[in-house]
Amino acid sequence: MASRALLAVISASPNRCFISSSWIKIQSSSSSSSLSLHLQRHSRKIQLIGRSYSSETKSSEFQPPDVSSLAETARISLTPAEVEECETKIRRVIDWFGQLQQVDVNSVEPSIRAEMEGGNLREDAPETFENSESIRASIPSFEEAYLKVPKILNKE
Amino acid sequence: MSTTLLRTIQPNQFSLLATALFRRRTGNFSVRCCGSQTTTTHEAKQPSQSRVAPKNHRSNKLDEILKDYEAVIGIETHVQLSTLTKAFCSCPNNYGSYPNTSICPVCMGLPGALPVLNSKVVEFGVRLGLALNCDLSLKSKFDRKQYFYPDLPKGYQISQFDIPIASGGYVDLDIPLEFGGGHRRFGITRVHMEEDAGKLLHSDTGDYSQVDLNRAGVPLLEIVSEPDMRSGIEAAEYACEMQRIVRYLGVGNGNMQEGSLRCDVNISIRPIGQAEFGTKVEIKNLNAFSAISRAIDYEISRQALLYNQGQADQIVTETRLWEEGAQKSVTMRKKEGLADYRYFPEPDLPEVILTQEYVDGIRASLPELPEAKRRRYKAMGLGMQDVLFLANDVSVAEYFDAVIGKGAEVKSVANWIMSDIAAYLKNEKLSINDIKLTPQELAELIAAIKDGTISGKIGKEILFELLAKGGTVKGMIKAKDLVQITDPAEIEKMVIKVVSENPKQLEQYRSGKTKLQGYFAGQVMKMSKGKANPGLLNKILLEKLNA
Repeated sequence: MASRALLAVISASPNRCFISSSWIKIQSSSSSSSLSLHLQRHSRKIQLIGRSYSSETKSSEFQPPDVSSLAETARISLTPAEVEECETKIRRVIDWFGQLQQVDVNSVEPSIRAEMEGGNLREDAPETFENSESIRASIPSFEEAYLKVPKILNKE
Repeated sequence: MSTTLLRTIQPNQFSLLATALFRRRTGNFSVRCCGSQTTTTHEAKQPSQSRVAPKNHRSNKLDEILKDYEAVIGIETHVQLSTLTKAFCSCPNNYGSYPNTSICPVCMGLPGALPVLNSKVVEFGVRLGLALNCDLSLKSKFDRKQYFYPDLPKGYQISQFDIPIASGGYVDLDIPLEFGGGHRRFGITRVHMEEDAGKLLHSDTGDYSQVDLNRAGVPLLEIVSEPDMRSGIEAAEYACEMQRIVRYLGVGNGNMQEGSLRCDVNISIRPIGQAEFGTKVEIKNLNAFSAISRAIDYEISRQALLYNQGQADQIVTETRLWEEGAQKSVTMRKKEGLADYRYFPEPDLPEVILTQEYVDGIRASLPELPEAKRRRYKAMGLGMQDVLFLANDVSVAEYFDAVIGKGAEVKSVANWIMSDIAAYLKNEKLSINDIKLTPQELAELIAAIKDGTISGKIGKEILFELLAKGGTVKGMIKAKDLVQITDPAEIEKMVIKVVSENPKQLEQYRSGKTKLQGYFAGQVMKMSKGKANPGLLNKILLEKLNA
């Protein structure tokens, strides 16, 4: 739940970015030199993406999180106590991204994702997943061949 | 107080008016390519004047509205691709499989599963992009579109956001004569690749919905048009052309009932002369071309009424659902803003790189497209009615092309296909691919009639046998001894026999009852088993009767 809210807030911020991969990368970097390299490259990316994606202002100031509306977008319900708790945590993460924004990456080539050669395509040949039964078995509410969910049409 | 009262009353007034308005129009509308191939056969033979009532197809009410307001319409078309597997995993892509069986960790979004793009999806994207005269992005990418809904297991849809595979194209089409005719060009903003969500089934009773995730991850191409259309008819014809192109290209089956081709319409109206657009409303759940046309006409009326009552502020950005039974639309949801989707680049997929060579290869392999076919048929001298009929269905067009490829005369081939063959297909609920009559034999049949070997009447008779059972025209003429009798001496013998056997009728004829010529001709024809050349028969008969 917390990670879903985190993802939501991060991608909701004006400079929308793909935090998950860079976040993990930075965390897993062991040496300090490679850490700074990653920082440079990724924050450059963040700027570029922010520019091409956002119709909002290019301000480097992040807005404080509106946890209630974020929770609504993520379709999760939070108690007022949880909202308060999340707000502090999320604000810390956002502030940290504010620091990343300050890195000068003007001379660095952007790269969106892990290094992958292009042309990584698959033949259109069907293959049935053998263990689909275990997927169905793990669905909490499964009845008569269907997933059963609350009726949501016209509910907004 | 009074405003409140007014507001409560008006929606009812309007729905009454609109219901009446659209009831009247129901059944009046038919687009040529609705539904399956067999339905393409109606109205085939009738010459244009019988159906043409230009500009009278709309109700007066709507015409009146359109004196003051202009509708601005754009369409998003989702084309389900007929690939064997899903977009990012190898699960079979079969419509109608047992629910929730064609699933795997990738399309279910299970942790650690990674998507790999199906090469066919790229190929189909390039084909459709080229067919719509678009510029292709040699380097495009995928993005995640986030939203939480039970039909979306991953919590995001893999789509293309800021760099679609194709953009900036157009499509040309011909409006049928009965809707006013004319040639139109509508802009194509973009074509992008994405995956479908699962299917939600809403039970009428009970407070739950059912989800089938077989469709989750099935590849789609979304075509976004420019807001270039101005009426329900234009929008329906645009959608119809999309279906035709998809079928010509073989990238999808274009079946609207199955949801393989889905159109969402964006519509706003503005007072004529106003430059800026009005508030845009989206209409979903349009699963027939006629529904597109009617839903748009309904929406134009609804918005115009609000304008006229000084309540334009009540036109809000929203998604409305078309209810085919009630012939009206209802609010589905107030639209979430673009920012709410929180797009970001899909980190699990590499960029989609196309080489110029690859694109050129696909361009060279494109079939002749509907517009090119229509222009070619027009140039052959066929009327627009014929052109639209023949080019509508790719199988019919291919059949037609094959017959004229055998040297048969263009207009005769068109007539045979559009009248007797079309009627047969309709009655037997068959597609042209199912008939046993080969293009070669249709050409032979037409030639046999033209050179007088058989009469037109006998031609029609053996046509149905050839359609159902196959065989050759020559073989059938021989086996059934159907060759037309063109020897005057032989016909004369039969005439003399018939005249001599009917002295009473001859007497009546000679005393002025000349209508009896028909009786004699019928008797001779019967004696010849329908094989006597009618021209010769009548000529000789007249000589004998008046001798």
